[in-house]
Amino acid sequence: MSLAGVEAFYRPDAPEGVVELLEKHSDSALIVAGGTFLHGLIARGLLTGIEALIDIQHLGLDYINNSADGTEIGAMTRFSAIKASPEVQSQAWLGAIRDAVEYPPAQVMNAATVGGCVASSCPFFDLPVSFLALNAIVNVHGPAGRRDIELEAFFPGLFENALDPAEFVTSLRVAPTSANTASAFTKLETNANDLALVNVAVSLATNGAGKCEEARVFVGGGVGETVVRAPSAEQTLTGAVLGPAIFTQAGDAAKADVDPIADHRASAEYRTAMVKVLLERTLQRAADRLS
Amino acid sequence: MKQMIELEINDELHEVAVGPADSLLRTIRETIGLIGTKRGCDSGGCGCCTVLVDGKAVYSCMTMAMSVQGKKIATIEGLGENGDLDPLQQAFIDAGAVQCGYCTCGVIMASKQLLTENPNPNEDEIRKGISGNLCRCTGYQKIVDAIKLAATSN
Repeated sequence: MSLAGVEAFYRPDAPEGVVELLEKHSDSALIVAGGTFLHGLIARGLLTGIEALIDIQHLGLDYINNSADGTEIGAMTRFSAIKASPEVQSQAWLGAIRDAVEYPPAQVMNAATVGGCVASSCPFFDLPVSFLALNAIVNVHGPAGRRDIELEAFFPGLFENALDPAEFVTSLRVAPTSANTASAFTKLETNANDLALVNVAVSLATNGAGKCEEARVFVGGGVGETVVRAPSAEQTLTGAVLGPAIFTQAGDAAKADVDPIADHRASAEYRTAMVKVLLERTLQRAADRLS
Repeated sequence: MKQMIELEINDELHEVAVGPADSLLRTIRETIGLIGTKRGCDSGGCGCCTVLVDGKAVYSCMTMAMSVQGKKIATIEGLGENGDLDPLQQAFIDAGAVQCGYCTCGVIMASKQLLTENPNPNEDEIRKGISGNLCRCTGYQKIVDAIKLAATSN
């Protein structure tokens, strides 16, 4: 691990303490949660000049709160705790979250956190795609106190986020669109430890009789500089009676919504072809979860 | 600047001097001298460095030593009791699941969590349980056989 310039490791016990440290150290401080993407950031040259690490595991941010308004997940909540949540496992509208934590190996499940995977702002991650489909709100804490940021506005660019200086992520909040909402997620990967070649999350809300009232479709894994929304696919689905034929049409439509990269994992053509396949399958799985 | 901290490893308290960004892997191997835990990719991709923290498998190369103060850390050296091998270690010998051996300690530690939480896993659950560990020799079949054997001998 190359964080050679780090001189201090802080373990604050309140959000205000984190903000103070972030203000004191400015750009040279880094928040550490599970630590599972530190190598990824170092390898991409994104962690130069770090002098202070701030461990946020003592702030009480490891929780999943369910209420009539939805579900709030604290930033330090590990993937394993999400998988163990009865709410996540049983609710159709949380299906995309349930699916996303099926992929990582145990060592990542036990360490990686919700806050870390969002704040890292990596377009290849899985859970952020699911949270986008669920129209999540990011709760952040900063010098001016707490504020909410829509997750959809949180990723302005590659490895960039909408946090102001000295702000950090404290939780994510999601709520179902209606009683007839189901979501699903699918990842295409080369092995259990690789980033996604392509990943897809969808959330479908219906009128209770199979007609789609709202569709949210998001695609990640190298199909753009950030996770992208697929409006063509959403328009195809909205107002339609859900079924295999419309899912195929939506899959075809989504190809126009992405502009994939080519890298050592896959060509742009392959990624485009997989967006269609994965979207069809993910839509079917979400539909199967609708009562 | 290095700082003295206490780490509980294999039920023993170690007072160690660690740098603010030292990994648990480096601390275990180079400062404490427990070299059963292996350094493979050193970037969370191979699983050779797997240890248990409060019973859960983690990559020690991606875990900060400073962040696991007050937690119970277990390495391969801490398995087994009274000088006997752990059933998992014995099963790896009996099933011939070791070739070069570099991945073995990490695979066994990941399997330890698996069998503790699920004493009778099916083959899919076993393969999922060790999906964070790479083995470039065995093709995994004998490793899977060994974990099944350990499950039946428990």
